[in-house]
Amino acid sequence: METKQHETKSFSLPLGPIHVALEEPMYFKLELEGERVKHVDITSGHVHRGMELLATKRNFFQNVVLTERVCSLCSNSHPLTYCLAVENLAGIQVSPKAQALRVLAEEIKRTASHLFNVAILAHIIGYKSLFMHVMEVREIMQDVKETVYGNRMDLAANCIGGVKYSVNLELIEFIEKSLVRTEKHIKEIIDIYATDKMILRRTTNVGRISAEDVIKYGLVGPVARGSNVRIDTRKTAPYLIYDQLDFDMITETGCDVHSRAMVRLRETLESIKIIKQIIRNIPEGELNTLLPHIPAGEAMARSEAPRGELFYYVRTDGTDMPLRLKWRVPSYMNWDALEVMMKDCEVADVSLIVNSIDPCVSCTER
Amino acid sequence: MQDTYSYIMLIGAALFNLLIFPGGLFALGLGVLFKGLDRKIEARLQRRVGPPVIQPIIDIIKLSGKEAMIPETAQRPLFQSAPLIGFIGMAVCAALLPIPGVSGGLPYMGDMLVYFYLLQLPAVALMIAGSSSSSPFGTLGFSREMTLMFAYEIPLLMIILAVAMKVGGSNFAEFSLMNIISYQEEHGQFITNWVMIPAFLAYLFFLPGTMGVPPFDIPEAETEIVEGPLLEYSGASLALFQLTSAIKNIVVLGFGVVIFFPMTLGGNIAVNILWFAFKCFVLMLISCTFIKSATGRFRIEQAFGFYLKIPAVLALISLVLVWFNF
Repeated sequence: METKQHETKSFSLPLGPIHVALEEPMYFKLELEGERVKHVDITSGHVHRGMELLATKRNFFQNVVLTERVCSLCSNSHPLTYCLAVENLAGIQVSPKAQALRVLAEEIKRTASHLFNVAILAHIIGYKSLFMHVMEVREIMQDVKETVYGNRMDLAANCIGGVKYSVNLELIEFIEKSLVRTEKHIKEIIDIYATDKMILRRTTNVGRISAEDVIKYGLVGPVARGSNVRIDTRKTAPYLIYDQLDFDMITETGCDVHSRAMVRLRETLESIKIIKQIIRNIPEGELNTLLPHIPAGEAMARSEAPRGELFYYVRTDGTDMPLRLKWRVPSYMNWDALEVMMKDCEVADVSLIVNSIDPCVSCTER
Repeated sequence: MQDTYSYIMLIGAALFNLLIFPGGLFALGLGVLFKGLDRKIEARLQRRVGPPVIQPIIDIIKLSGKEAMIPETAQRPLFQSAPLIGFIGMAVCAALLPIPGVSGGLPYMGDMLVYFYLLQLPAVALMIAGSSSSSPFGTLGFSREMTLMFAYEIPLLMIILAVAMKVGGSNFAEFSLMNIISYQEEHGQFITNWVMIPAFLAYLFFLPGTMGVPPFDIPEAETEIVEGPLLEYSGASLALFQLTSAIKNIVVLGFGVVIFFPMTLGGNIAVNILWFAFKCFVLMLISCTFIKSATGRFRIEQAFGFYLKIPAVLALISLVLVWFNF
């Protein structure tokens, strides 16, 4: 209606909340002039489940399960960071063995998550064969998850004070074998993404965001690293045993959709490197410790989820339920920068740009 | 009396051509079969199992039994007639298609210029569909379809001119499809003629554009504009669009076979029909199925640039060579 009054050539295009290219419900109202996007309105709140309130109605144990269900793709990062926060509060020392096993779960999840996002990129540009190929490689990691943890998505690996599982020699051999296969395929995939003309044509110089804007908007994760901003909680504020591990922080200088995809792909190789380092050197020790009384107070913890820095804050009053549990997810900041990335882009690129921040709506809206 | 009789015979033959062979049932059946095969092969190339070959038939039967919803804001007459326009255009096209060694198609009408115009009808139908559905996705699909049509029409026109001038020789140009077939029977198929090979390559590029498969499925891009013009269609209207696209595949593939490699295998009709279908199938594999599974989707301006840079230039080379009597 508005467009008619002003008699401009622009019209509005609703994208979402249900849309094939979006993994999760988000709603964009695009003002278009022809194929060009002039203005983006982002609306959220379609999958709000009131989880932060729920967390205050459950005890500390139950919240491990609850936080695991915040999001499927980072379903290990959430309970892990929650446990780290509670451990910080109660001063629990986690054994080196449990720490190594936690890193193992984190990196397996990260590899699968990054591959998933990169596969969706191929799907969005209509490259279905590549999509199938990347998903098949991801399937190897899914098999690893299923074999080691018994589940494909929610690993239920963490508990307050340690982990719930261990790996025996047989599993270690299986994981190593899978890693070799995955690594070989990922190197091929990196080659495809770096050189395929169709992918380059569709993704380079699309959804650009400069390093200054990255800092201004407080972006994290592969989005920031794709614009050559060196932020990685594993390096800048090491937790668990990340400071003892040898891996690189991956950055790209392209600032566009393509460099974000390349960051993710190259990070999967780093993750595999990390897993290889720890898997043969898992120290002896207890898997978890007895849970002491959790005192009144507040604590926080940070970790690097596949999408960027994840922050948990917990406040307690000495009872067995938290008074407040608050988390800030990486997509929350990355989401806001969409308006910068989408400025004057084409309609064809909108879903590509949305995918490039790897949005996790169910985390953000919980 | 004799006149009336031959008149009835003519009408009967025309109806036969339109409804049963080579148009109508034959084109429909072959088109739907090709769609199924295409999906199956594509799936196997992607290491999927894929749907059964008869899946397109199942889809069409299911759709035609469903209620057709019409958006309140759509322009009803246009919205409802759009699928018919495309379907009728393609049905006539299929009836006009001569099948080498079998049938000459509708008598006195098999003309490349008629083809050139009729071939655009499905695209026009999509445009009408997109603009009358009042959906913003439809509108976008409309503008994309129009851009794409302009892009692939240019090489197509030059291909047609090159073929016509080659066959016409000193008479300047010959547009009749039957004459084109008999010329090639005498002088060898165009696919073996180096002058015409650039035009053939250009035709290979034209095919995915007009069939709307990757990398040129831009007007109906699912992940960008959710099927564009087809978004608001449901039930029998949508089934009609799918039928149109099935016949269109046969029409454009058959047209390619006729103008580039129409050679027959002896005089047996059944063998020639199978041979024709086989050639169409190979053409589809090369130009559609394989390309589709090895590439992504262009942006619309990239597709436009592509058509002007490569197929148009290839077709132009043939045209110029023919012009100078090579």
